[in-house]
Order: sequence, then structure tokens, then C-alpha cells
Amino acid sequence: MIAGRRDPARARGARPGIGHDPRARGTVAVVARREIAVTLHDRAFLGSTVVMLLVVALAVAIPAFIQGRTPRLTVAVRGSAAQQVVGAATTLGADAQKSSSASVFGVGQLPGAAITTRPVESTAEAERLVRDGTVSAAVIGDDVRTLQVIAAGAVPDALGSLVEAASAQLQVSAAAADAGLTSSQLRAMLNPTPPTTVLLEGTARGPVPPELLVVVFAFLFSLSVLTFGVSIAQSVVEEKRSRVVELLVAVVPVRWLLAGKVVGNTALAVGQIVLLLGVGILGAAVTGRADAVGQLLVGSGWFLVFFLLGFVLLACLWAVAGSLVSRIEELQSTTVVMQVLVLLPFVAALFATEPGIVQTTLSYLPLTAPLLMPERVILGDAAAWEPVVSALLVLVFAALSVGLGARLYEGSVLHTSSRLKVRQAWRGEGA
Amino acid sequence: MREGLAIDAVTRRFGDRLALDGVSFEVRPGRVTGLVGANGAGKTTTMRIIMGVLAADSGEVRLGAQPVGLPLRRRFGYMPEERGLYPKMKVVDQLVYLGRIHGLDGATARTRAEALLDALGLAERRTDVLSTLSLGNQQRVQVAAALLHDPVLLVLDEPFSGLDPLAVDLVSERLRERADAGVPVLFSSHQLELVERLCDDVVIISAGMVAAAGEAHALRRAGTGRRLRVVVTPPHRDARDGGGSSRPLLDPLEVELARVAGVTAVGVDGDAFTVDLDAGADAQVVLATALRHGAVDEFGAIVPTLAEIFREVVR
Repeated sequence: MIAGRRDPARARGARPGIGHDPRARGTVAVVARREIAVTLHDRAFLGSTVVMLLVVALAVAIPAFIQGRTPRLTVAVRGSAAQQVVGAATTLGADAQKSSSASVFGVGQLPGAAITTRPVESTAEAERLVRDGTVSAAVIGDDVRTLQVIAAGAVPDALGSLVEAASAQLQVSAAAADAGLTSSQLRAMLNPTPPTTVLLEGTARGPVPPELLVVVFAFLFSLSVLTFGVSIAQSVVEEKRSRVVELLVAVVPVRWLLAGKVVGNTALAVGQIVLLLGVGILGAAVTGRADAVGQLLVGSGWFLVFFLLGFVLLACLWAVAGSLVSRIEELQSTTVVMQVLVLLPFVAALFATEPGIVQTTLSYLPLTAPLLMPERVILGDAAAWEPVVSALLVLVFAALSVGLGARLYEGSVLHTSSRLKVRQAWRGEGA
Repeated sequence: MREGLAIDAVTRRFGDRLALDGVSFEVRPGRVTGLVGANGAGKTTTMRIIMGVLAADSGEVRLGAQPVGLPLRRRFGYMPEERGLYPKMKVVDQLVYLGRIHGLDGATARTRAEALLDALGLAERRTDVLSTLSLGNQQRVQVAAALLHDPVLLVLDEPFSGLDPLAVDLVSERLRERADAGVPVLFSSHQLELVERLCDDVVIISAGMVAAAGEAHALRRAGTGRRLRVVVTPPHRDARDGGGSSRPLLDPLEVELARVAGVTAVGVDGDAFTVDLDAGADAQVVLATALRHGAVDEFGAIVPTLAEIFREVVR
């Protein structure tokens, strides 16, 4: 039976908070270090970090891999026109391959391909080679207008486009030569200059699509807050269940304990996020998407600021979710509220990927700001003062939440017999 | 000389129930004090109030002349009733952590933790995770946690429960060592023989009040007033054939003893009489009475055991 009030002298001593007692910082650091050491030895934490790193690495590598993969095609050729067209297609394919590595998304261009020609004597031989798979397709014909492409099931996409383009080019230049056009007129026909686009209300967009940014930031933030939040709550219950808390509160103000837990877990969470962002940015640099790096760095800087504030905003409340119960099995009943506080903003952010009034509003609300404001900064949708104001708002709410969390934690952490209601914790009935 | 702990008129209520009612006693420096009482008598509540885990409604706890607050408590050693260690931490890491919470630096905490584990016979288990230790061994770790920071006061709630006799000896040696170094040591226990063997002073608490307190042997002498044991051999017994019972011959003695002024009760067990006296009774009159009925083989005061006193005072 541990119901009852706490020592008022202690409560008074703790009230001024950390910084007034020279021992406070050291003690908070000792508590924080234990939290970190325990988490770093936790296989589940290490496992999930590795998985997240792999996801980031794959997210960077897969598009690069897909783009960088050039189909290798062998084409059987019979006839002079066929030879000419396939030759031109080979050049086009090789050019496309070179240019695509320089741009991030090679959409709207000719596909890259490495084409090898294999001259054959007869159509029958070409068909045999196609059937047994020695060649991807065969191109046959002496006249450019009656060319035949033979394939088994379907003509490979890249080959089809390249051969089509090559044949068109050859026919156009033949027609142009017949009409007596000059070579510069011919070039103008073959490489028409596209119109220049002028956007009156647009802003410069980076190469990373905005929807993806929102999803990535929202996902990282929510996942991290959920993982570490549950870990904070569990650590609190663990101390209550094993009664270590009784030993600790005899010598350390309750608020120092809470501060140590929050500091330790925040340091770990920020460390993990920095690692993930670092891998992502490094990956972008290595895979030749250097133009995205600067954009990501700025966004990541703001993301870290909002991440830190948003994390602290929720961390103390997670500790309260732990201190209201006495057993791990009861934890679900209190953490479900916290899960809603994390998942609701996540869903809201997913519905607000497009710039607009909804996104702007949400980027100022404390729970959704960490998810949306960094993206607005990256896209240039936000004026310079906007993230600062929004960050200050989150900071104010974080301070309020820390105060609330500390009081509820203090009021409930020594109560080890049953689940407490928030109101009882507020009145200190559990201590 | 170290200072003693004084609990001064401490009262504490849980709702309607008065758990402690003006509890006052002292834990003197250099002495081991046993706190005994029935379940729910208020032992754990008293200790929690000393450690500040609970607040007193009124009354005060002082070390020497100084009211006990957080900075002072940091130097107390405490072993809570329900224990308190991290199940998943390694034994030595755990002790180092608690030592640092108590204000030791890391290196000192480690050195002391290893020395204590050695002294408590746990040297080879020091890198094991706590939950893999037997309950008795976990208890030893708990004792180590209370001793680690060289406390100026020890408060141990049931430190011996669940320990085997060897561990009891190890732990009681450690407590005696600290007391000999001048530290006031307070522990609670249900094992009254152990308290009797180990304690210099005893505090008996009953229904939230101190029922008796003082030096253990003085308490035993004073506890139930005076009790005499008298063994008498009646004069004609040897003359009778084959012995037989001497009872009928001693019946008049029993009647006469009961009539002696100040005798409150007379118990008979064969030849042995147990005579309870009140404060005004004269033991010599009892002896003279016995002599008139035969040869007095034994005559002396009975010192009750602590268990007997305990039953007496909590009744």
C-alpha cells in the first residue's frame, strides 16, 4: 500500500527545477545515460534501426538502380534498310543512355539501350534465332518503308521505341534530301526547339517531388515518436513494477528522474534521425542526385529543429502514460491515447501534401508542424519568418506539456497498486 | 561520533485509517535497532516516512538536530520492502548506477560495488543480469545497493526475508560492521529470534503506536513484570515406596503461594511452579513459603524471550 501524499519538503525542493541544485545536471545525466545504455543494448531497438537504415538505403538505391539499368539487346538484321535503321537506333540508344544518367527522372526521352547487331542470311534464319531466344528481335527489309520487326511474344519496349524513332528519322531525312533542304533546315526538323515555359505564380521546384517529402518526414517523425514513446512509457512502468522507483525517489527529486528519461530518449531519437537523414543524403550524393542534396540539407535542418521540439512535446506525456499504470499489461490502456496523438497528425499530413490553406494551417499546429513545415520550407512555400514562428509555437506547447507531464508524473509515479485516472494524478492522489 | 535518528511524534493517515499515531523512538548511533510488529502495524509506513517516500501528516524525523530532507537522505542507505532493482541490468552496472545516483563518481562506485559483491559472496555473478540470480542472491545485491555509498544511516525493511542461514550471517555481519563504525542501523523483521540475536535495541510497534522500546535485554527483563520459577521436592517423598506422584503433597503449596501478597498468577507443571509477581510483591516471601513445603531445588527469575514479550505487548 503506497497511497498517500509525497513529502512536501521534497516537492518544494524539486519545484525550482533543474539548474538550481548543482547536483541536478549530473544526476539527470546519469539517469539519461542509463536510458541510452539500456536502449543501445536492446536488440529490438538495434534491429529496427538497421531495418530503417536499409529502407532509406533502398529508397535511394532502387530508383538509381532502375534508371541505371540499360537493357542489352541483340538484334538480327537482314537487308540494307534494316541495317541502316538498326545502326541509327543503336546510336540513339547509346545517346539516351548517356544523357539519362545526368538527369534525375529521365521521363519523356528515348530509352537507353545497348544494341548489338547480328547479320543473318535469311528471314527463316532470323525467325529461328528469335524463337530460340538468341536474339531479342529481328529487323528485316531492304526498303525503309517496308521494314519488318519480328519478335517472339512482344517487341522489347526500348527496342520498339528506338527502331521506330530511327526509322522515322531516316525517312524524314530521305524526304528532306529529296526536297532539297539544307542540313541546318534538316536539323531544325529533326530536333525541334520546345517552347519555353513561364510560370506566373510558380516557384522553383527541386527535383524531389513534394508529396514524397511530406510522406518521408511524417513517416520518420511518427515512427520515431511511437518507438521512443513506447520505450519511455515502458521504462517508467518497469521502474514502478520493480519498485526501483522507491529507491530513486528517496534520493532524487521526481522531476530529475523524468528529465533524465526525456533527455536520454530524445538524444537517442535525434541521433537515430540524424543517422537516417545522413544516410539518405549521402545516398543521394553518391547516386548522382547531387542537385537534390542541397535541398535536402536545408529541409533536414528545419526538420531536426521541429523533430526535437515535437519529440519533447510528447515525451513527457508518454512518461505519464507509463506512470498512470503499474503493470506492462495495463500500458496499452493509456498509450492508446498517445498513439492517437501521433497517428492523427500523420494521417492529416498525408491529406495535406498539396500546398494550400489546409497545409499552411496544419504547418502551424503544434502536432502537425513537424510534419509539414519542413516541406513548405524546402519547396519555398513559406516565408523566412514562418518556420521560426511555427517553431516558437511548438516550443511554447512543448513547455506547457512538459509542465503538465511533470506534475502528472510526480502525482502518480509512486502509486503502485492500481491504474490511476489523470485527475487523481493531477491532485497527487497517487503519491 | 555519528548522529542518531529521532522519530518524533509522527502521525500518518491513509484515508480514514490511522496508520501511525504519534510514533516516537530513536535509532542510536553505533547500535542495531530492530523494528518489530505484526503485519499492518506500521513498520513499512514508518520506514517510508523516514526515507521521504511518504510524507508524515505531522511530526518530524531528525538526524541529530537536523530535520531530514533530500540532501541528507542522499546519504542514507535504504532497502525497500518490495525491493527495487532493474531486472534486466547487470548486477555491477546496477550498483554503479545507484551509487552514482547517490552522488558517487563512477570509479568509486565501481570499486565499492565490486568490493561489496565480494564481501557478500557474489563476486562471480557480477556481470550476470539480475533476473538470472536466485531470489536470495538478488536480495544480497539489494543489501549491497543499500551499503554502497557508505551511508550515515541504514534503513532496511525486512532485509533477512528469503535468505538462507549462511546469507543471514553474511548480511548480519555487514550490518554489525556498519553499526560498529558508528552508523545507526534500523531494520524490521518478523524473525524475532534473529532480532533478539542481532539487535541492541528493539522497538515494538502495534496498531500504529510504539508499544515498547528500549535496549533489548532491559526490555526482556521489564517486559512482563517479574516471573519466578520455583522447583520444590516435598520432604517425605523418598520415604514412600517406589516414588509415585508428589502432587498431593504440593497442592497446599500452590494454594499458599496464590495467597502471598502481590502474586498475580501461579502455574504448575509437576514439581515446577511459575509465579507471576506484581511490582509490590516480595520474592523472598515466595521463597520462604516454598521452603516450608520441602526442599527448594530451583529458585530464579525467568527472562522472557522477545517473542513472548511481543505476544504480551501486542495483545
